[in-house]
Amino acid sequence: MRHLRWLLIPLVVLPLGLLLLSGFGRDPREIASPILGRPAPEWSLTTLDGKALGTDALAGRPYVVNFWASWCIPACVDEHPVLAAAHERYGDEVTIVGVLYQDDPGAAESFLARYGNAGYAHAVDERGALAIDYGVTGPPETFFVDADGIVRAKQFGPLTDALLADRMASILNVAER
Amino acid sequence: MIPTIGHASIVIGLGLTTYAVVAFVLAAGGRDERLAASGRRAVIGSFVAALVGCVAMVISLLTHDFSVLYVAENNATTTPAFISAISLWAALEGSILFWTLLATGWASVVLHRHRARHRLLMPWVGATLACVNLFFFAVMTWAGNPFALTAPVGAEGIGPNALLQNHPFMALHPPLLYLGYTGMAVPFAFGVAALVTKRLDEEWLRIVRRWTLVPWIFLTLGIIAGAWWSYEVLGWGGYWAWDPVENAALLPWLTATAFVHSAMVAERRGGLRIWASALVIATFTLTLVGTFLTRSGVVISVHSFTQSAIGPWFLGAILLALTLSLGLLVWRLPGLIGGGRPSGLLSRESAFLLNNVLFLGLTFAVLFGTLLPLLVTATSGDTISVGAPWFNTVNAPIFVALLFLMGIGPALPWGQASWATLRDRFAVPSILGAVVVAAGLALGLRSAAVLVTLGIAVLVGAIMIGEVIRGASARARGRDEDALTATWRLATRNRRRYGGYTVHVGVLVMAIAVAISSGLATDATVTIGPGETARIGAYEIRHERLVVEPLAADARVIETRAELTYTGPQTGSLRTALRDYPNSPTAIATPAVRTSFGEDLYVTLLASDPSTQAVTLHLFVNPLVVWIWIGGVIVGIGSTFAIWPERRRVAVAAAQPQRAPSVSPVEGA
Repeated sequence: MRHLRWLLIPLVVLPLGLLLLSGFGRDPREIASPILGRPAPEWSLTTLDGKALGTDALAGRPYVVNFWASWCIPACVDEHPVLAAAHERYGDEVTIVGVLYQDDPGAAESFLARYGNAGYAHAVDERGALAIDYGVTGPPETFFVDADGIVRAKQFGPLTDALLADRMASILNVAER
Repeated sequence: MIPTIGHASIVIGLGLTTYAVVAFVLAAGGRDERLAASGRRAVIGSFVAALVGCVAMVISLLTHDFSVLYVAENNATTTPAFISAISLWAALEGSILFWTLLATGWASVVLHRHRARHRLLMPWVGATLACVNLFFFAVMTWAGNPFALTAPVGAEGIGPNALLQNHPFMALHPPLLYLGYTGMAVPFAFGVAALVTKRLDEEWLRIVRRWTLVPWIFLTLGIIAGAWWSYEVLGWGGYWAWDPVENAALLPWLTATAFVHSAMVAERRGGLRIWASALVIATFTLTLVGTFLTRSGVVISVHSFTQSAIGPWFLGAILLALTLSLGLLVWRLPGLIGGGRPSGLLSRESAFLLNNVLFLGLTFAVLFGTLLPLLVTATSGDTISVGAPWFNTVNAPIFVALLFLMGIGPALPWGQASWATLRDRFAVPSILGAVVVAAGLALGLRSAAVLVTLGIAVLVGAIMIGEVIRGASARARGRDEDALTATWRLATRNRRRYGGYTVHVGVLVMAIAVAISSGLATDATVTIGPGETARIGAYEIRHERLVVEPLAADARVIETRAELTYTGPQTGSLRTALRDYPNSPTAIATPAVRTSFGEDLYVTLLASDPSTQAVTLHLFVNPLVVWIWIGGVIVGIGSTFAIWPERRRVAVAAAQPQRAPSVSPVEGA
């Protein structure tokens, strides 16, 4: 009986440890976005090179909307090559669109000149209306829309190759089905 | 160059701290004074290393050295120098560097002060403190290097968190809070040392009580400064939201306060030694839990730093500290039981015990409410949040009971109270309290919380005044002094008791202010065009003009500003604005607060319409809020008075040769 008191330690430490441990891997700011599973917002904007771009042109195949800004260092710099590689790899099936978030087009162009322009279009969301429609809280934030125009996944914070592949699967599967 | 020096200083600090741990443990085993002295010097060296690191970081921030990732993420070329300097603690890595500075600072001061005393305890105290510091240096070395470099180097940084550059209190609140947090490692270290060496005696209690009170003062002021900051900056009209991180600061405060009280019983009457050491361990562990909650990204709050690799380190540290210290406690348990002298049901001991039960009740309630969302998510996957109403409902009765106890506890005698004593001390105050409640009812006050708090506050205040008058008049009669001199001398001869009273007065002032400001506040949301007016309480607000322009201090920030005039109990003009920061998705409100002793007029701009120039305002009249801050200052003064070193008895005796030493009442406040 005298040794039972040692049980106190695991009784206190284990539940607390498990509870606090369970919080890892989740980002509490990644609030379940109400937009998931719903039709993507419709829009029509001008791109950096002055062309018109909108949901009309994108409809019918999966697309990715990436909100970014030239001042978003280092997160947007970090994910830039990931997106470029994605454009290279998935470009035939998926359209990638960059959307400037509270940024000056000139600054965005010098960002692209510096870190490489992969060739996908960047829309200028001058009044931030599209960011509001998507419920963007801060760049980088990326939304994955399937061929039916339904938002399937969202990435809060910079994409990595693994994260991108995971999110991409959610819109590609639907396309293949 | 500067970042290299900063990084090198962290590595040097890590080395010195590692050496200190080894030296102290060897010194404890071999009773080797010279090893202990070298351990002490290593700790002081680690403080210097942390200081060099902090200076290097501040220089990097001030010179906008964007090759340092931390600077690129938290600074911009347009950031004012003051904001740059305090950005040292604006984000994760920098705050850990600053934290390490304070932790090594505490360790150095404690080890230096007690260098010639407590030869058995001190090596273990040193070893424990060095272990804690080692953890922070290790985190900075392997998980969150504040001097991590970035390439390519950008010409411009993101700039500091928008919320953090809005108010000078950002310079005050985190350092105070961190001083409190880091200082709680000191009583913990003494607790560990006492358990290891089996020296959990009155001497230990005396040292630990003082070393708990010092960080307790900082923690108290830090929490109050945080409430004040949130009131002045966040723009929702309140000062306490039961945000997880506010709770994280409150939790160790609750257990530390419980300890300060139970230590008095333990010191005076013996016993409670398990309890006292458990509270010391709990307090330190809760400071780590608080840090973990803020820095791991586990909970969301206005304070949470970005998700980082630091979380697992903190979790490991919490579990390790808890396992080892509980292990020590359980190991020593058989020798700790018993020892207290028995006492009656109606006695100061009982009041202290009940006080501790209530404080622990609060601790559990707050901890439960804070961790429940985590528990629910872990078990069912749902997301819930425990809001302020829940915390208010659960905690308000406990606070009221504590307030009541605060009045009667100190007036109860040790051992056993007689009915005659009770009648003498409590009859008049009880009647006064009842009269105030009746008067409130007659005047139309219907809020139960306000009435109960007012009644109890008057009761408690009257009891305290009675206590002071009894003590002072006894002294004035015996020594032929006038009343003021007698009171002052009595207080300075019994600093702990009268400092404690002063703290209680501060708490009383805060309690009344909290009850009334939350119970009797009025607010309204209005939309008015230029030249139109709106009414709130006795105030009339007039919309003069709407201005949209870049901020003079930082042109990247666009300010939408409503310029208003107001008439009523206070008259004047005010500006309240929404600021758009390039790195913040939402506009940051800058509420305008006009403070008077009676009430605050609090105005926040919610929205504006550029076409009509109309503004939507949230107007508040918050009564007595300023008294919360005044009460906080009184608490700070009282607790500082309590721990101020007593003047030497010799000097007193020389100044008053007629005084007989045996008369001096040794009151254990």
